[in-house]
Order: sequence, then structure tokens, then C-alpha cells
Amino acid sequence: MAVSGFEGFEKRLELEFSCHDPVFGIGLREVDFNSLEQVLHLVQCTVVSALGNQHFDSYVLSESSLFVYPTKIIIKTCGTTQLLKSVQPFIHLARTLNLHIVALRYTRGSFIFPQAQPHPHTSFHEEVVYLEDNIPANLCYRKASVIPSKLTSHSWHVFSAALVEYSDDILYTVEVCMTDLDQTLARKFFRHPNDGKNGDSAGREMTEATGINRINPNAQICDFAFDPCGYSMNAIDGDRYSTIHVTPEDGFSYASFECVGSVYDGDIADMVKKAVKVFCPGTVSVATTSASNEMCMRIKNAVEQLGIKCRSWSMDEFPAAGTVVFQTFTSRRNRI
Amino acid sequence: MGAQVSTQQRSSDHGEVLSVHSLDKWNTQFQNSKTSNKLMVIDFSAAWCGPCKFIEPAVHDLAVEFTDVDFIKIDIDELPDVAKDFDVQAMPTFVLLKKGKERDRIVGVKKDELHRLIEKHRF
Repeated sequence: MAVSGFEGFEKRLELEFSCHDPVFGIGLREVDFNSLEQVLHLVQCTVVSALGNQHFDSYVLSESSLFVYPTKIIIKTCGTTQLLKSVQPFIHLARTLNLHIVALRYTRGSFIFPQAQPHPHTSFHEEVVYLEDNIPANLCYRKASVIPSKLTSHSWHVFSAALVEYSDDILYTVEVCMTDLDQTLARKFFRHPNDGKNGDSAGREMTEATGINRINPNAQICDFAFDPCGYSMNAIDGDRYSTIHVTPEDGFSYASFECVGSVYDGDIADMVKKAVKVFCPGTVSVATTSASNEMCMRIKNAVEQLGIKCRSWSMDEFPAAGTVVFQTFTSRRNRI
Repeated sequence: MGAQVSTQQRSSDHGEVLSVHSLDKWNTQFQNSKTSNKLMVIDFSAAWCGPCKFIEPAVHDLAVEFTDVDFIKIDIDELPDVAKDFDVQAMPTFVLLKKGKERDRIVGVKKDELHRLIEKHRF
């Protein structure tokens, strides 16, 4: 592991809103782009590409992704971004549209370079204090927890808060973090000098060369390749997104895959397996929120088909978010 | 000073994006494209789509830069059949037409790529 380098591990924030007026149209999608950009500026990131459909808007950022639904915002940023600084501004913007926050969830893995993180991300404790100070008191169903694994370098941090207690949901979220990427595969995410391409066309090439476009062939993909290396993509399929971010450098290589599943359809386990196969990582963690035990098992079995062994399975219950299951896997070359 | 602007020039020759709101108007534009050597860039967008609003200024800049290219904007809610004909599934979608045939398309906000493809197909 390098002494210092780019932090691939993301911080993820999900904010849910509701309106007293039943006819709220496009809700948060009404927010003008300048206002969105101002919030992104606070978090030290910018929009690099974007794509939308009738259900939601997706943005590829300089440091990950942003999804804007009528009543939900999901923002995921890596590096040393101060993601939590977006909480107050988003709540404020929503209020101008007569939307009020009803739930919040903040999740992240363990930073590779924790000492490089700025306030309020210098520790989970500090993040929790910051969140408690910046959300309205009526989100009273709160819990902060660090879910461990057998690997000291891999824990899953969760803070959730809501107006009402969580009840069974149709949708669940899967957050996959991969480290120690196979270097031959990681090299596909480096730009070739003087390739005559721009970030858009280079990104498209990486999407096709690595098979990322085959993870969900139904989806429309918005991709981008960074210079000299790095890659991001958002895929939109109906009302669901999936997103991949890659930091390919040896010594701190990292890739993430996140998607939304439904109890009614979609083979999420197969998508997770295909995504992990793109990178052949040494270590994988899979965190699911509100997924059934059965789905967690299916994901575990699918990942293990790649010759990666499940080393731990831990979980915790959150009154605002349901069950969070955290699994870690290591490849044979990384046996602990 | 100097030359009078021909009254037959279409507004797109002044570096503007022409918004097409009716099927009749679209059919006229499409027929024009078939009989001309000009590249036509169709911007399929929707009023409720954030990414479309994001790229709007850039599309206007491209229209000003490339006055020899026709820029057409179609709202997919106003002309859903045209959007369906062109298999538009996400927005913005840019379709580059020459002589009525699709030469290329871009799905999503990709300013550099749009600039590159316009340069590639304009002549």
C-alpha cells in the first residue's frame, strides 16, 4: 500500500423528501442548475457529464456521482471532498420547493488514507456530530453504527435518520467496494498519451473494452475517462441507476459499483458478479441496505463463483433504514 | 454595413437553435435536410430534464460557432412520435443527420464529443 495517494473510497449521502401538496410535479428536478452547481462547489466537485430520463437526472461529477429524483437526492463523492457540507444546502433548496426532508442516510467504507480527510470527515464520530447538528430535530429515528468485518481495514459506517420508522421497501441498494485491482485490468482505465480522444470518447472506449456495457445491456450509459487515468460512469435503466468509479493506480487501486434492486425483478446478483469480474480485485466488500437475506445470499454465491471467498458476514438494524448487511470477500491470492 | 441579408435565409443561418414544435414544421425541416448538403443536429430534450438545461448554453454556442450547420431542438413531450422514430430513450440525445440519414448520435451531455462529431460530419 502506498504512503499516500488518491482516496477512491466514497462517502455516500441519500436524502429523501416529501411534500404536503400531493401535486408536486417534478419536485427536486425543478432546482435550477446554477443552484445545484453552487452546492457542488461547496463539496469541491463539478459536473463532467449528465443524462436523464422521465424518472430522474444523473450527473457524472469530477469526484463521483449525483442522482436527482423528484423526492430523492443521492450524492456520492470520493477523494477529500467535504460531502456533508451539502446537507444543509440541499435541505434548504428543497424547502424552496415546499419539500421537507423525511430521511437521510450516510454510508462509507474505511478510508485508505484517513489522515488526509478534512473536517468533518476526520473520524466517523466527527461526521456523526456534524450530521446531528445539521439535520432537523424531527428526524428522530436515528442510529450511527460501524459494522465490522474480519479485516481491520474494512468496516462499514452507517448513519441513518428518519421522521418515521422504516417499513418494508420494494427497493434496496447494493454498494460494492473493491481494492487491490488486478493490474492488467486496471491498466485499461489509463488514457493513452496522444490518443486524439477527449474524455467522452475515451470513456466510451473504456466502457466497451472492459465489458462494463454488458453488466446491464438494457441501460443507457453516461461515461467519462479522466486524464491521465480514472473512469466514471452512470447507467440509467427506467427509474434505477447503477454507477461505477475507478481509481486504477497501483498501490491504492479502487473501484466501486453501486446499483438499486427491486424485490420484483432484476438479477442484481448477476450484475454484481459481472461488475466484480471487470476488476478481479483482491478484496471486495458488499453492503446492502434493505435487501432480504435471500438476496444477500444470492449476491454472496454469485461473487464466490469468481473464486473469491466470503470472509465475513455482519449486519445491523436501523430504525430509519432497515437491515444493513456487510460482507467481505478476498481472493485466494489475498488469503488472511 | 454592406450586404442585405437575404429574406430566404433560415434563422439557423444566424447561429441560432431552431425549436420545432409541430409535426408539420419538423417534416419541412426533415425534407430540407434530405435535399441539402448541410449537417443537421437535432437536440432531443425535455423541459423537466436537468441535464438538458445544463447543456443548453453549450448548444447555443455551437450553433453560433457552426453557422453552416442546422441546429434543431425537439421537445420529446411535444413531438413524442419523432422521438420514438429516432429511438430516443434518454436525454439529451443529439442526432446528426445528413441528407436525411443518421450519421452519428450522442446520448448525454458530452460537449467535447459533440464538437468533435460536428467538425467530423459538417462537410
